Amino acid sequence: TGAGREARSAGPGTGAIAGEQAGYHWKIVTTWPKNLPGLGTAPENFARMLGEMSGGRLTARVYGAGEIVPAFEVFDAVSQGVADAGHGAAYYWKGKIPSSVFFTAVPFGMTAQEMNAWLYYGGGMELWREVYAGANIEPYAGGSTGVQMAGWFNRELNSVADLKGLKMRIPGLAGDVFTRAGGTSVRIPGGEIYTSLQTGVIDAAEWVGPYNDLALGLHEVAKYYYYPGWHEPGAMLEFIVNKDSLAALPEDLRAIVKTAARAANQEMLDEFTARNNTALRDLVENHGVQLRRLPDDVLKALFDASEEVLAELVAADPLAARVNASFQDFYGKVRAYHHISEQAFINARDVVLPPERKDP
Amino acid sequence: MPRMLALVAAIDRFTEASGRLLAWLAVAMALLTALVVVLRYGFNIGSIAAQEAITYIHGTLFTLGAAYTLKRDGHVRVDIFYRRFSARAQAWVNGVGSIVFLLPLCAFIFCISWNYVAESWAIRESSPEPGGIPAVFLLKSLLPLMAATLFLQGLAETLRSAAVLMRASE
Amino acid sequence: MSGYIALLMFAAVCLTLMLGYPVAFTLAGTALAFAAGGIIAGVFDASFLSALPGRLFGTVNNATLIAVPLFILMGVILEKSRVAEELLASMARVFGRLRGGLGISVILVGTLLAASTGIVGATVVTMGLLSLPSMLQGGYKPSLAAGTICATGTLGQIIPPSIALVLLGDVLSSAYQQAQLSMNIFNPKTVSVGDLFIGALLPGLLLVALYMVYVLVVAWLKPEQAPPAEQEPVPASELLKGLVPPLLLIAVVLGSILVGAATPTEAAGVGAVGALLLALAKGQMDFSRLREVSRDTMEVTCMVFMILIGAALFSLVFRGFGGEELIHHFFEQLPGGVLGATLVVMLIIFLLGFILDFIEITFVVVPIVGPILLAMGLDPIWLGIMIAINLQTSFLTPPFGFALFYLRGVAPDSLATGAIYRGVIPFIIIQLSVLVALWMWPALATWLPAQLAR
Ligand code: NA
Ligand code: NA
Repeated sequence: TGAGREARSAGPGTGAIAGEQAGYHWKIVTTWPKNLPGLGTAPENFARMLGEMSGGRLTARVYGAGEIVPAFEVFDAVSQGVADAGHGAAYYWKGKIPSSVFFTAVPFGMTAQEMNAWLYYGGGMELWREVYAGANIEPYAGGSTGVQMAGWFNRELNSVADLKGLKMRIPGLAGDVFTRAGGTSVRIPGGEIYTSLQTGVIDAAEWVGPYNDLALGLHEVAKYYYYPGWHEPGAMLEFIVNKDSLAALPEDLRAIVKTAARAANQEMLDEFTARNNTALRDLVENHGVQLRRLPDDVLKALFDASEEVLAELVAADPLAARVNASFQDFYGKVRAYHHISEQAFINARDVVLPPERKDP
Repeated sequence: MPRMLALVAAIDRFTEASGRLLAWLAVAMALLTALVVVLRYGFNIGSIAAQEAITYIHGTLFTLGAAYTLKRDGHVRVDIFYRRFSARAQAWVNGVGSIVFLLPLCAFIFCISWNYVAESWAIRESSPEPGGIPAVFLLKSLLPLMAATLFLQGLAETLRSAAVLMRASE
Repeated sequence: MSGYIALLMFAAVCLTLMLGYPVAFTLAGTALAFAAGGIIAGVFDASFLSALPGRLFGTVNNATLIAVPLFILMGVILEKSRVAEELLASMARVFGRLRGGLGISVILVGTLLAASTGIVGATVVTMGLLSLPSMLQGGYKPSLAAGTICATGTLGQIIPPSIALVLLGDVLSSAYQQAQLSMNIFNPKTVSVGDLFIGALLPGLLLVALYMVYVLVVAWLKPEQAPPAEQEPVPASELLKGLVPPLLLIAVVLGSILVGAATPTEAAGVGAVGALLLALAKGQMDFSRLREVSRDTMEVTCMVFMILIGAALFSLVFRGFGGEELIHHFFEQLPGGVLGATLVVMLIIFLLGFILDFIEITFVVVPIVGPILLAMGLDPIWLGIMIAINLQTSFLTPPFGFALFYLRGVAPDSLATGAIYRGVIPFIIIQLSVLVALWMWPALATWLPAQLAR
């Protein structure tokens, strides 16, 4: 457990103090509230690593959502040089760049491990750079949550018929899929999710996974916690850097930016992997949360709707079509091997482990 | 001076007419909100577009209505001294306040948001939500429009104050 | 250190506001002038200013602020159709010969409205529209009326559900986790929005009770300031006609939230349409009156939003000058001990509450001070309630409290601003005494959540 703690940010303000004798000082804006556990620690880690690796020549200061710009203005802020860099998720920018969704998560898409492989070894990064080039932005993978949860529900889903009329707060592509599969997707601002679940304006809401969900307290207002997170099997986050800010750096500092991003990327997945399981145990053992798996026919209906939604997205945008082609090609290949490696092993250990050591 | 007052009157007419029209948005917004609630609660029908339309109406109402509010002197003041001032002193506050605070502010918002809005137009920015309204570029255009209409009415108010001061000094 | 320029700007805007030019433009214009000076002097990073369009668009796109015009519309309709007046008059008559009955009625109605949204701009304005004319007509001393309305109008922040508590809950929850992580607790306890809602209940109701006690005491000592309702007996049917329809409307608004039909934001829209139907049913609404209603609604809405926009630019420039580092600097030199640290934090939050709105302060200050104070062992629910009541007090404090601006914006010219200022002072004292009570008996905030957690 020591490694995760070691990587913690030294606290707010240290960047600014070191920045007084630095050659380059960056502003990093994020889509998360300052210091949000998990998601919000990645930009802090990234900023700290930049300072440490460059011996203080490149320092950065992190501004949470709303401090300089609101969450959903991060992309524009970096694009137009208001900030040098940002941390968020590519699918937030779907209204600007439809193909951006592939670089975070698409329903029934790749896991964190597979996404990283596609980005770094399967041509994904090259496409991502191309997709953001028009915005004067250089992207880097910025951490992953791993497989998320399907969400919090106040009604049981026993068959696909139970989706009918189910009101869920589930934004983005997944919301579209959910509606097509028979549900009703509702737009609820972040601050009203809790109350809306409590009073029944919505029957369900998705957030992230146990570590983040526990903090939000949704277990107090919803009975069932469904898995798996079909819509976000490995939500990839992003660091985005303004190209002019990057070009102003000497070569060694540019290499540091790249390496620090890659390190922070791995760091987040490690943290979520470690913390999700303890948070889940807390939810189940101390808060009486009931875990449920989505039934197969529900998953199938969601999958069919996802295929439709993706087909429409791809048909409407040539760049999205190219990204999808690369994504699906890699996905097919990696799945073949993962079928007999990760998946086979995880199944195998379920077979061999004695019952008392098995998961819930 | 007559020419100046004619300009003031023309701006006033524009602001008044557009304001009267825009004001109906308040009622439209309430009706649409109630409709969204009834459809969702009564019929399990959810519409992202309708929910976003409320945001569009709301944004239009408070950005473009600001000039009308200025004309009706509806922007609140700390008037503990102001209300005791003579008409002439009040004209000084309003004239100088416009020139020092309001007009530069509007010019600044107009200029600084130009690029921001142009980028949005260039890609015809759409809603991030499927089924949302594909006109975020129009919503963003409200910012320079607010600055322009407020500037125009601010100019009228400045000239009106100037007229009071000139008349008083005649 | 340019942080001190941020302080200077704070002082400057206090002076320029006094000149009487509209608050919104004075806030923004002063900040802009300082930024321009700072850029010329080379102590201000101009890129901060380029963040303004994004911030303004964030206000346009903010789904919870939608409650503001909807609430105002409801208030204007109820005022113009005289429904509000009849409601308050009937309620006051129910109290019969009791002096201060109308004041109690206003506080009761305000408490019910406070249970819907939590946006100060919406609730203060609505309460002003609903009850100020009645109280003045009823012979109440203007300052007492203004104070009662301002204080009751800010209750929306404390009485759940409240968007202010929700935002505070999110930020506090992160701060609490961070505080525990810093103490090597990796499976941290959490504090949720629900905890804050429940924790706010007793202090909120205590405030309501104390407001009422104050009004009753004034009415008892100085009957001329809060006279009883007319004495001639009114038939019960008359009373019911004034009471039932508007109480039904309030029931529909709150009911739509409770049964899960509407979010607190949407409930404001339900209320506005309900008020419209009510006015139509009473024959008090026609086309020309609706036209008048819509214009008034837009005017008041724009007044509120321009202040928010002015405050957005001001806080951006404040941050650009390193105002945040300055705050951080203060905290590094916190006097020893929990008491000293808490006092300093509360004082700074109180002062910032003059110029920044709840959301800004929640995002600027709480992430800095939260982890430090919580690591000292303070209870997160208690801290949240303290901050919320403190800010509510700040919004009431002359001459720059937001609630005062908003009430001024809808009050008739005949009501002197000085009367508003004088009127809120007793309520500020009540607020402060509740803060002291919370300090001495933290259980006021923490007992109920602990009971329900079992
Ligand atoms: Na999610
Ligand atoms: Na409330």
